[in-house]
Amino acid sequence: MSSEEHDLQDTDTEARFEFKKEEKSAFEAEKGLTEETIRVISEDKDEPEWMLERRLRALKQFKEMPMPTDWPGAPDLSEVDVDEIVPYIRPDIETRGGVDDWEDLPEEIQDTFDKLGIPEAEKNALSGVGAQYESEIVYQNMQERWEEKGVIFCDMDKAVQEHEDLVREHFMTKAVPPSDNKFAALHGAIWSGGSFVYVPENTTVDMPVQAYFRMNSDGMGQFEHTLIIAEENSEVHYIEGCSAPKYSEFNLHSGGVEVFVNEGAHVQYSTVQNWSKNTYNLNTKRAIAEEDATMEWVSGSMGSKATMLYPSTILKGRNATDNHITIAFAGEGQNIDTGAKVYHNAPDTKSTIESKSISKDGGRTNYRGLVHIADGAENSSTAVECDALMFDNESTSDTMPYMEIEESKVDVAHEATVGKIGDEDVFYLQSRGLDDDDAKQMIVSGFIEPITEELPIEYAVELNRLIELEMEGSLG
Amino acid sequence: MSTQVHANATEEQVREISDQLDEPEWLLETRLEALDALDDLEMPSVIRTPGRTWTNLTDLDFETLVDPLNAAETKERVDAEGAETLEWSEALAEHGDLIEEHFGSVVDPEENYLTALSTALFSTGTVVYVPEGSAAEDVTIRTEMNSRSLFNYTLIVAEESSSVTILERQSSGDREARSASDASGETASVDGERYYSGVVEAVGGENAYVQYGTLQNLDDETYHFSFKRGHADTHATVNWIEGNLGSRLTKSGVETNLVGEGSETKIVGAFFGHDDQHFDIDSRVWHRAEHTTADLVTRGVIDDDARSVYEGVQDVGAMAWDTSSYQRENTLMLSDESEADASPQLIINNHDTEASHSATVGQVDAEDLFYMTSRGTPPEIARNQLVEGFFVPVLEEVEVEELREDISDLVAQRLRE
Repeated sequence: MSSEEHDLQDTDTEARFEFKKEEKSAFEAEKGLTEETIRVISEDKDEPEWMLERRLRALKQFKEMPMPTDWPGAPDLSEVDVDEIVPYIRPDIETRGGVDDWEDLPEEIQDTFDKLGIPEAEKNALSGVGAQYESEIVYQNMQERWEEKGVIFCDMDKAVQEHEDLVREHFMTKAVPPSDNKFAALHGAIWSGGSFVYVPENTTVDMPVQAYFRMNSDGMGQFEHTLIIAEENSEVHYIEGCSAPKYSEFNLHSGGVEVFVNEGAHVQYSTVQNWSKNTYNLNTKRAIAEEDATMEWVSGSMGSKATMLYPSTILKGRNATDNHITIAFAGEGQNIDTGAKVYHNAPDTKSTIESKSISKDGGRTNYRGLVHIADGAENSSTAVECDALMFDNESTSDTMPYMEIEESKVDVAHEATVGKIGDEDVFYLQSRGLDDDDAKQMIVSGFIEPITEELPIEYAVELNRLIELEMEGSLG
Repeated sequence: MSTQVHANATEEQVREISDQLDEPEWLLETRLEALDALDDLEMPSVIRTPGRTWTNLTDLDFETLVDPLNAAETKERVDAEGAETLEWSEALAEHGDLIEEHFGSVVDPEENYLTALSTALFSTGTVVYVPEGSAAEDVTIRTEMNSRSLFNYTLIVAEESSSVTILERQSSGDREARSASDASGETASVDGERYYSGVVEAVGGENAYVQYGTLQNLDDETYHFSFKRGHADTHATVNWIEGNLGSRLTKSGVETNLVGEGSETKIVGAFFGHDDQHFDIDSRVWHRAEHTTADLVTRGVIDDDARSVYEGVQDVGAMAWDTSSYQRENTLMLSDESEADASPQLIINNHDTEASHSATVGQVDAEDLFYMTSRGTPPEIARNQLVEGFFVPVLEEVEVEELREDISDLVAQRLRE
């Protein structure tokens, strides 16, 4: 354990994120990934035949596809041996699909989420909460008043059973097909848990819906699938939080997120990711926005050893809008490769991407983004802004945007800056009585402020706290 | 595909070319090594995004394009006081040691498949030698290509505290010139597709100043590959002007390696594509020493079905303290069938850096157009004037008058076609 981690252990925040529970599971799939494993998972979940078929097809694609090794400057994934991770662990609980009262959960799981502050947040500010422990949702609750309006918020396994038609139509068919990339294919084969959100027409869910994902076991893989369908003129804000304690073996998180934003609907998807620093975080997230719809992605990537995450939006309908906000913070040994993808496939579509990245102590951040404007997507506009802040000379900051413009009646702008923490700024703050650490922390808070002010308050606070945690005691 | 080209470039050909130019043994060896390496080398890198390759080099049918022994050109070299501008054989005779020292030191012949092919097969070349402390202006090299394929090589050596401005231009000879070369005994027709390849190395010594400008206006059946790189020593400045109007497909790389403390570079690009032209223009700078500065500025216009690809790289090494690095790329689209792709990249390994880049794609500004038409200017003329104005910031950087005026004239002419 490095001295930095040692320092961090004494803080309260540390305790919130790094505690670990003894593993106790009812079922653990054997290591290694074979057709047999897939059949066992599917059977254990009592899935319909079509889902098993989709899993097997995805497995075949996974085996055929190459690792993304030819990307310039991409994280090293050579350590990721899928056969070595346990793809499917279901915690030891009686009720499949989760309980709806925290009190009914086994004590150690209850304790875990208590420490994370989830039940507290539910009382105060959320419309619904789902919590996933290892591969299965252990807690799921939706406030009654939303249930009455027909809003569905349940775990994905349950949705396969109870909302089969909706799932069958949308699950890895249009937004994220398994053929998208190797880890999407892997996800398609062994996905487990995750959330299903359905918001009926003209319904505004005015408090956020939250899911919390946690890996507690060693050598664990988590492959939750989130499917959000927002019908015409509906509105919902979904928040995803992730964390895992640290173990010696590596963990793999390969989630899949599909969002369908129908005509005039508005979906915001926020993530604060704080996986432990041995986790490979390789996700595929994609939204399809119809006419007049708005999709917003807010992502904070603090944890993981390596992250490859490029939430994407297909602006399919006229006048659809996409906004991306991403913050990446890479400390020692971390490689955060993240960005955004937007496809403008219809006229009058708009997108904005705001990215802020911070690298320190040898950490590496890379903004990798793609904006594609298809022929015929007249009067589309896109504005991309990437800013990077570097703390020291061991760190690296790359910016790799790609723009493909097939339509002439467009307004395309991309801007990026990279710089260090200004000595003068630090000096000024010090002369006003702050110590070096506090001064730098304040500068970082100021640097990401344009983004945190877009976040719901609890999230902005959490993000700031995580950054504080990252920086504490580690600055010379 | 490699084997296809290889089949057309043999050791005998390389020996014959080298022999005709009266080359020393070391150079023949270098050429043969490059030829040998072809099998193992990759095409120059091109950008790939999911499902798309921005420039397709692998489908080019080099088999029918490469004809090394029948190279024909008309070359004109305008010497300038203060510099020696020498054709290849003469340069080898007079400055053999200088050439041996620098040849391949900036652009590795085995950089990629096409540089190796060019090194093995070049049959014409120019050396511009600027001795210590001297200054030369407007060195001009004009190449008119009259054969199926032409491989060209240029070496610029600017010694300590010297300065030089250079224009090198490429165009295609008219049909009469081409048939004249046929008449010299060759029956091969030069109608149809052709291939021009050029490698340029620039060595900027301590405190030297080099501005090398190029104007490529090859005909619309010519595939064009060029690779230019400069080394800038302590306090040296190596500047590039890259003008592309001609060719069917261009793959051009312009790079500066800032190896000396306090060195500087400006890479300025201008292109104007029409019909179904494809331009792939790469500007790259490597900051490898302290206190270095780079400014990359490219402006391009595309019309009809033309497609432009721009890659800009600002790479700041771990030892490059106190770096300033800026990049701007702007593309104007004049037609709805055109396509503009761009990827400006920052790779920063030293935090003591001030770096930024920006890229825009769009049409002629509607408000500007409205203003001009409301003052009585016909729309067509207003548009043309705005496009000409768009190139002004780039043209202002050009020191060689012929280059500045010709880019400007060719842009005006193309707008009125």
